[in-house]
Amino acid sequence: MLTASAAALPALLATAGCRSSDLFAGPDPLAGRPALSHDVITLQAVIAAEQAMIKLYQAAVGGRLGADGLAGLLAEHRQHLGRLQARLVLPPGFSAASGSASQSASPSASPGVVPARVTTGRLRAAEQASAADLLRRLVTVQPALAQLFASIAASDATHVVALGG
Amino acid sequence: MTRVMAISASAVRAVPALPALQAALAAEDAAIFGYGVAGAHLSGSRKAAAEQDWTEHNEARDRLTAMISALGATPVAAQAFYRLPFEVTDAASAAKLAAYLEEGVTRAYLGLVAVSDRRLRAFGALAMQGPAERAAFWRGTTEAFPGLDVPG
Repeated sequence: MLTASAAALPALLATAGCRSSDLFAGPDPLAGRPALSHDVITLQAVIAAEQAMIKLYQAAVGGRLGADGLAGLLAEHRQHLGRLQARLVLPPGFSAASGSASQSASPSASPGVVPARVTTGRLRAAEQASAADLLRRLVTVQPALAQLFASIAASDATHVVALGG
Repeated sequence: MTRVMAISASAVRAVPALPALQAALAAEDAAIFGYGVAGAHLSGSRKAAAEQDWTEHNEARDRLTAMISALGATPVAAQAFYRLPFEVTDAASAAKLAAYLEEGVTRAYLGLVAVSDRRLRAFGALAMQGPAERAAFWRGTTEAFPGLDVPG
């Protein structure tokens, strides 16, 4: 009787001139971690940018820069983040913060970097940059995601006006 | 190489461009009519704002008409009369109507974002920002997801 462990399977297949993918119709379990799709990588980058925006608003509210008016805008950014995160379901082995998101995140919203003093002008510039970044990204993703990006970009545009832009 | 599929619970398939453009044009026509009603109940700076918005909707209508004609299609004609969603009797209900109209136009342009043509998609996304801003003005508040039906 022939017995073989899972670890020995690739060697056996190689001896037989086969790849494991020849035996399975689905994803190759021995080919390593599959690559994330463009939409998922884009979504990760947008989530990272939204998190940076929230940090910026938190710093502004903490510094009492018109805290009452900013609280409403901050709440809407938290809604954006929640809706974006709900769209992101990663396979086991991937973390929400991993991948190339940080590499492709908007330069306007560097995650983790929050200036000590946040002015209204800084918030306005961040909102403008966010809206522009979303407009740039939405042409390359699936329609449902594109519409979410467009809606968030429009919300950001209304924030610019609310901030005196 | 195996690729992880994009995750979307409410996947929207790409829609044809022409119906989406016609829907945007119809929304602009409705807004032009509605501002005529709203403007009659407004005064001062708010009347001036309504007149400015009416002008912008006329310009947008002309732009959409040209785009549809360029595709070889006949632009949908404006109706002679539109049924209002509620009675407009004073400045408050006029402002409410203006917000309602802008929200409708915002939704119509968001429909264009579902088309596969990248230029039209970008056009729709940019075009919805104006009505979203005007809706916020007339409503008095911003919102997190202009144009989208999002459960509260």
